Amino acid sequence: MKRLLILIGKIIVKLLKLMHRNAGNLPGIVLWHLSRHKAVSMFKVDCPIIAVTGTNGKTSVTNCIAQLFERSGKKIIINREGNNLDTGICSMLLKYCDMSGKVKADYLILETDESHVPVVYSQLKLDTLVVLNFFRDQLDRNGEMETLIQKINGFCKTFEGNLILNGDDPNTARLGRANPHNKNVKYFHAEPYAFATKKIFEASEGRFCPFCGEALEYDYYQYSHIGKFICKKCGFGNYEPYITARDIDLEKPVFTAGGHTYSPKLNSIYNIYNMTAVAAAAKLYNIDQDITDGVINSYTVKNGRMENFMLGGSKATLNLAKNPVGANMTLRVMNEMQGEKELLFVLNDNIADGLDVSWIYDINFSIFQRVTRVVTSGTRAYDIAVRIKTAGYDPAKIVVRPDLDKAVEELASTQGRKFIIANYTAVQPTRSALKRYIAKHGGNR
Amino acid sequence: MKTIRILHMYADMLDLYGDSGNMEVISFRCKKRGIECIIDKYSIDSEMPDFSSYDLIYIGGGADLEQQHISEDLLKCREGIVKAYKNGTFLFLICGGYQLMGKYYRDADGNEIKGLGLFDYFTVAPNSRRKRCIGNIVIETGLTGKPVKVVGFENHGGQTQGVKSTFGKVLYGNGNCSKSEAEGYCEKNVIATYLHGPCLSKNPEISDYMIEYCVNRGEKEHISLEALDDTLEKDCRQVMLDRLLKSR
Repeated sequence: MKRLLILIGKIIVKLLKLMHRNAGNLPGIVLWHLSRHKAVSMFKVDCPIIAVTGTNGKTSVTNCIAQLFERSGKKIIINREGNNLDTGICSMLLKYCDMSGKVKADYLILETDESHVPVVYSQLKLDTLVVLNFFRDQLDRNGEMETLIQKINGFCKTFEGNLILNGDDPNTARLGRANPHNKNVKYFHAEPYAFATKKIFEASEGRFCPFCGEALEYDYYQYSHIGKFICKKCGFGNYEPYITARDIDLEKPVFTAGGHTYSPKLNSIYNIYNMTAVAAAAKLYNIDQDITDGVINSYTVKNGRMENFMLGGSKATLNLAKNPVGANMTLRVMNEMQGEKELLFVLNDNIADGLDVSWIYDINFSIFQRVTRVVTSGTRAYDIAVRIKTAGYDPAKIVVRPDLDKAVEELASTQGRKFIIANYTAVQPTRSALKRYIAKHGGNR
Repeated sequence: MKTIRILHMYADMLDLYGDSGNMEVISFRCKKRGIECIIDKYSIDSEMPDFSSYDLIYIGGGADLEQQHISEDLLKCREGIVKAYKNGTFLFLICGGYQLMGKYYRDADGNEIKGLGLFDYFTVAPNSRRKRCIGNIVIETGLTGKPVKVVGFENHGGQTQGVKSTFGKVLYGNGNCSKSEAEGYCEKNVIATYLHGPCLSKNPEISDYMIEYCVNRGEKEHISLEALDDTLEKDCRQVMLDRLLKSR
């Protein structure tokens, strides 16, 4: 039966390839049905599996951890296309397995959707789980935040492998208590950076201790609810970090972790957290320090994650914001920068975005500084325009252009610094529109 | 300058789906008209406020866990809230806030959370957490005196039954129960609804109905509100109406 399913799966992958289509989720979906929802159970994996999950930063951290091993000369398998659901992981493994379902590699590095961690790793043995953070994201798909954490917590109760957790996020740090017998729980932590605050700055989750219900107290907030917290009543948050990022200077940017100084390419606090998670994995697997340096110091992203474009003579930075945290981060970067600037906000409400756009009211727009004009676009161009107006921004300076090409032209009609925020399904169309503009009017990527 | 006073209850716990945005909308629309809008917050362990001294009490929605947390505290406020409501304080209630003013809320695991019992309705969540009413919703309400189409987003498991006077007729979406005809509960000084979005963001008539109500509390002569330029808000709503109602 197993062999037959794998054969069917492989045939679908081949057929799709003949049709010049990327395998994507389809073979996995077919097998998911045929195997009665146990799509990944038919694979035999003997090598260690490292999974990365969390709301933000999964792709970056997965890629970096993969590079640690790749540069160490190991054979790795990674779900690069971002197919991070059980069906996507199944489709990907189909390409690499032999006819008996055996997957040959030294390490499997798998970005895994938060809600799919229990499903996938009840079927495949997991060596290490890295949990980055939990933010409000696409709530209407995942149900409520607490349900999601409960699901992963349920998995962690019997998990005895390595658990690398963001110790500064109460939502992830709590997983460290799920299985009191697991000796392999490791927290990463970061000391305050220049823009850390004493008071919370943005809407957030997890203000109360999940164990005793007491309000959590913070020494500092780095962004959103990420920071050094403690429950004064039951001691939740009092742990010994496995690795700590300190001396964070985003101007350069540099930071130290585990006593070693890194000079990453990206200058955001989230990148520091992501790279600290990578450093924790490197420490755990005894990766050569030169290799870790190489990975952390060279990592940079395209695909609309702080990606720069030249629109004619104007520099434009595009950033993906799937949720308020991502959007707030871009606004911070924008505000921390001197001089006048203009913002294009592209908001879609397709299924993959979560149909609900009310999260835009959790974005703190009241901090706009020296923003001379706002252009809005996407299927919910008007909603984001109304939101920015409600925050007190002059509506006369807001231009609504639901059509993306028109929006980019509008944005580029003036000189000066531009910022672009786009949500999930809006990012690629926005990149394409920017490239079309550049092809027509000049500039570069 | 005219002042209105609002009590935002459990803002730190019941704030799903941008519900705090409603307060931002009300305060924005007051400010534009030179009306002072004072928003006080009340949460678990706050000192017991004088509920009747407020023109409007606002409660948003939260996850099951948070609703359990606050229900006990809310019951302690029962007397004060009932008195305020009888004195004409406006109650604006979203999702969880709506449910908790009824008789009870039974969650997916069968746990019963006692409501304030201010109104006769009650809410039962289906056994499966997957069965939720999720999506864009359009209703038509006659609350303001003429029919107004209200656009929002609903996301609730709970099915609310026994509602005597509903907020509106469902034109698109689910409403109080899965695929039901009516949405929410209302009275002259109550709007209780499942609409997030936030609810007031593109429905200025509803915001102004509440503001006008508050401004006129205790006044002998009727004070009318100055009209605002709502072009963006109305265009925003129209885009959704065109999309949702024409697709039927």
